[in-house]
Amino acid sequence: MTYLLQILNGIGLGMLYFLLAVGLSVIFGLLQFVNFAHGAFYMLGAYLAYEMVGRGVSFWLALPLACLCVGALAALTEAILLRRIYAQAHTFHILATVGLALAVQEIVIIVWGPIGGNLPAPDGLSGVVILGDFIYPEYRLFVIGLTAVLAGALWWLLEGTRLGAIVRAGSESPEDMALLGYDTRRINTAVFGLGAGLAGLAGALAAPIRGVDPFMSVEALSVAFVVVVIGGMGSYAGALAAGLAVGIAQSLMATLWPEGARLVIYLGMAGIIVMMPRGLFGRA
Amino acid sequence: MTRLLERPLVHFALAVVTVLVLPLVLRSGTLASEILIFGLAAAACNLLLGYTGLLSFGQGIFFGLGSYAAGLLLLRADLPAAAMLPLVALVGAGTATAVGWLSIRRQGVYFVMLTLAFSQLFYFLAYTSSDLTGGDNGLLNIPRPRIGERVLGGPWAYYAYVAVLFLVLFALLQRVALSTFGRTLLAIRDNEARASAIGFPVRAFKVAAFAISGAVTALAGALHAMLIGVAPLSNIEYHTSETLLIMTIIGGTANLFASVLGAAFYLIAGDLLSAIWPRWLLLLGALLVAIALFMQRGLWGLIERAAAAMTRSPAPEAARPADAAVTEEGRP
Amino acid sequence: MLNRRAFLTQTALVAGTLGAPPLLRGAWAADGALTVGAPLPMSGAFAANGKFAALGAAFAAEEAGTVLGRKVVARDLDTEGKPATAARRVQEALAEGTRLFAGGILSSEALVMGKEVTNGGGVFFTTAGADEITGTECNRGTFRWSVPTHGAIAQTVRPLIEQMPQAKRWYTITPQYVFGEGLLGAAKAVFQEKGIEHVGNSYHALAEKEFSGYLTNAIAAKPDVLLILSFGSQSSDTLRQAVSFGLKKRMTIVLAWASGLEQFEALGPDLCEGIYFGAQYWHGIDSPMNKAFVAKVREKAKFSPNYSFAGSYLLTKLLLDGAAKAGSAEGPAVAKVLEGMTYAGLTGEEEIRAADHQVIKNYYLLKGKAKSAMADKDDFVDIVSSGKSFLSPEAAGCKMA
Repeated sequence: MTYLLQILNGIGLGMLYFLLAVGLSVIFGLLQFVNFAHGAFYMLGAYLAYEMVGRGVSFWLALPLACLCVGALAALTEAILLRRIYAQAHTFHILATVGLALAVQEIVIIVWGPIGGNLPAPDGLSGVVILGDFIYPEYRLFVIGLTAVLAGALWWLLEGTRLGAIVRAGSESPEDMALLGYDTRRINTAVFGLGAGLAGLAGALAAPIRGVDPFMSVEALSVAFVVVVIGGMGSYAGALAAGLAVGIAQSLMATLWPEGARLVIYLGMAGIIVMMPRGLFGRA
Repeated sequence: MTRLLERPLVHFALAVVTVLVLPLVLRSGTLASEILIFGLAAAACNLLLGYTGLLSFGQGIFFGLGSYAAGLLLLRADLPAAAMLPLVALVGAGTATAVGWLSIRRQGVYFVMLTLAFSQLFYFLAYTSSDLTGGDNGLLNIPRPRIGERVLGGPWAYYAYVAVLFLVLFALLQRVALSTFGRTLLAIRDNEARASAIGFPVRAFKVAAFAISGAVTALAGALHAMLIGVAPLSNIEYHTSETLLIMTIIGGTANLFASVLGAAFYLIAGDLLSAIWPRWLLLLGALLVAIALFMQRGLWGLIERAAAAMTRSPAPEAARPADAAVTEEGRP
Repeated sequence: MLNRRAFLTQTALVAGTLGAPPLLRGAWAADGALTVGAPLPMSGAFAANGKFAALGAAFAAEEAGTVLGRKVVARDLDTEGKPATAARRVQEALAEGTRLFAGGILSSEALVMGKEVTNGGGVFFTTAGADEITGTECNRGTFRWSVPTHGAIAQTVRPLIEQMPQAKRWYTITPQYVFGEGLLGAAKAVFQEKGIEHVGNSYHALAEKEFSGYLTNAIAAKPDVLLILSFGSQSSDTLRQAVSFGLKKRMTIVLAWASGLEQFEALGPDLCEGIYFGAQYWHGIDSPMNKAFVAKVREKAKFSPNYSFAGSYLLTKLLLDGAAKAGSAEGPAVAKVLEGMTYAGLTGEEEIRAADHQVIKNYYLLKGKAKSAMADKDDFVDIVSSGKSFLSPEAAGCKMA
């Protein structure tokens, strides 16, 4: 019974990890860009939702607004700053985004203070579902449902629409896209904004579960990297499968061998890279 | 004059000047020692980044292990520092060989991610084996080395000790970089396929670079542990790897002295700014973005430009041997 | 010619980069003032605690005014929450003549600084949590105000067992490091003595943020009481998630080592209501010195003192009182005066035990009250009970060299 509960709980965690990581993965697939600032967008989403709810905005409005604001901010950053360094070596992608993440963290501390805070679950979802021995917070069930719907919508966006086709083609051959007359720069900006917006949404959704604090970005980034690497960089299905796998592994390990949870996850990540360099679902 | 800036002897002379100038301009002997220690670790990082084209997020592993090994050898095995240091170098080289051997199987971003995963793994290992490492409390009571009967307790006495080792190891790193081995690393960095086609055992060379870098980084970790009297868990954290990389890139990857410059800049700026404004990391963040955008050759690039301007000779052109920071290792 | 010029330019450049510090540092040079060093995490994850502690030290310095005919200055030294930086900062301050140090919020920093300060002929007073500070790693120059894990457990778990005789099943969540082990060991000893069934424990890593897996374990064990042994933001995360799992209605929740006001502010009254907290300090303590202190802080600083502020204030004050009494600001002289000293402290009568330099003081069991029952915005809890429980210096493992 405990194991069943842990698996359900793991799915809940995993869906959030997926939402957090899928943007990082798609950005990498299209732009070959390593974004160490991805966690910062997650944190901004959480803080924006926290701020809006604190000012009396409904959580249901704050959620999409946080997502949109973070997406817009990220798109702006991409257009002004990051696109200038795509052509550089990875070293400078990493340097610039590490710097960006550091700056965002300090700005968050200046604006909201170093302590962090609490965002209550929205009214109507603050209770728990009880079925015999089974106890689970309503809000976490809601998150599983919502992320499942979002995962479906995203799948449709990437596989069923023109934008998706462009993105997929673009990640295989950017030169061809330019030759076909597509404005790759605008597509890049849009995809970057979308990916960061999803991270912002994940942050806003996670805020009622884990609260907000200025160091949540670091933790989110390391989870996102693990998920993206295991799933395969640039792969939507990989992010989904790996997100769930990491979430379930983390939750099960809490029962089996709590001290070793992280050890196992990073060992798994190293093993996957060594043995299956493209990840579980990566395109060769 | 710009030519002169490329000469290894000049770089070594600059290292000597740094050692002599630090006591004149700094009040804190501890800070001065820290600059040399991190300068050494950054130079070792540069051997991988600048000379071999390997962006390793695993340097903290070797630094932290060096601290722990130093502590254990001094405290449990009761060895003198002079016997401890070679053993620490062996530990560093051995670990780096293993980590390097596994990591270089992958290239580009996957290589970076692999070193990142190893860095996390070793952190959790150190954290869980608290019997050996002291866990979160760290490994305490690490003694300062002694010369004869005299314990190097004072900050400047220990600085002298660090300075001698720093110069010796810096010279050794330079020898490595200038040898046939070092030139082959450059060839591998610039065009791995070609180096391989010519018949160089590319992998063995990369692993060897890792081993040398690991040995020097571990020595730096040992010196650091003796400086502060403890081998803290934070020395093996991911954060240490990141800091070493940042120092290296700030300095510029063109030569080994640039890394010392990067470490000095990072530590002194941090020391000054944190006294004025606790949120100084915001400025550091902005600086990193600016370096990525505008000064990819780092502080050393600035010096070159200044020198070029002074002699009115043209700026160094783009394609010299140790120029581009890291060449793309091919898209994964 | 070119060579020489090049060399000079480079030297000038190097010197230019490195030459700034002494000029800027000159501002620090104290003109005969008596400096109390406050090595605190001013940046990094514990900056909030550091900020309040720095204010507390400054408050004490201002209150003292002049000691030994010298103007008192509290100078904060940013440890960045890292032992390495902490060691460097105190080494530097010692080299500049500072001998009195009050600070060190994190255990890892405090352990290192205690050694460095003692070796440098100073005295170090701290509020950090690690038992080793006045246990196996105790030394001549290091003093500690905060109650060790043994007393924290004794003053939270024991009164609750007496209050709730029907609650026989306890579950613990423990951070896996030395501090957590200390709390867990003490709790297990009490459980055994009192015939309590310890139905399970979950260890978690230092950096853990997601506790749902551990809470699921806890729920499955069907305990009457959930005892949370983590510290700082992790205990807040555990509590927050425990409440979201509806555990407040199903069991009693106890947080054995709470940070007090700053933590309650971050959690908010709704979460705190009905939860039991163990604490080193609370501004509602009914002692003459505390009442006067709280009134003064509220008047001058316009807020209620929290643990970081109050602790740092008292440490600084004790060091200065010690220096005045010793007629010297040198470490060994001040340490000698502090040993065995009794005084009217914030928690009532306090004594600095000579054998291990541990302050013998109260630990408090608090209970969160409903938002509607709060008299003012800081009135989060009621004091349920308080008392002093300490291991003997020998049992704590202190062998003073």
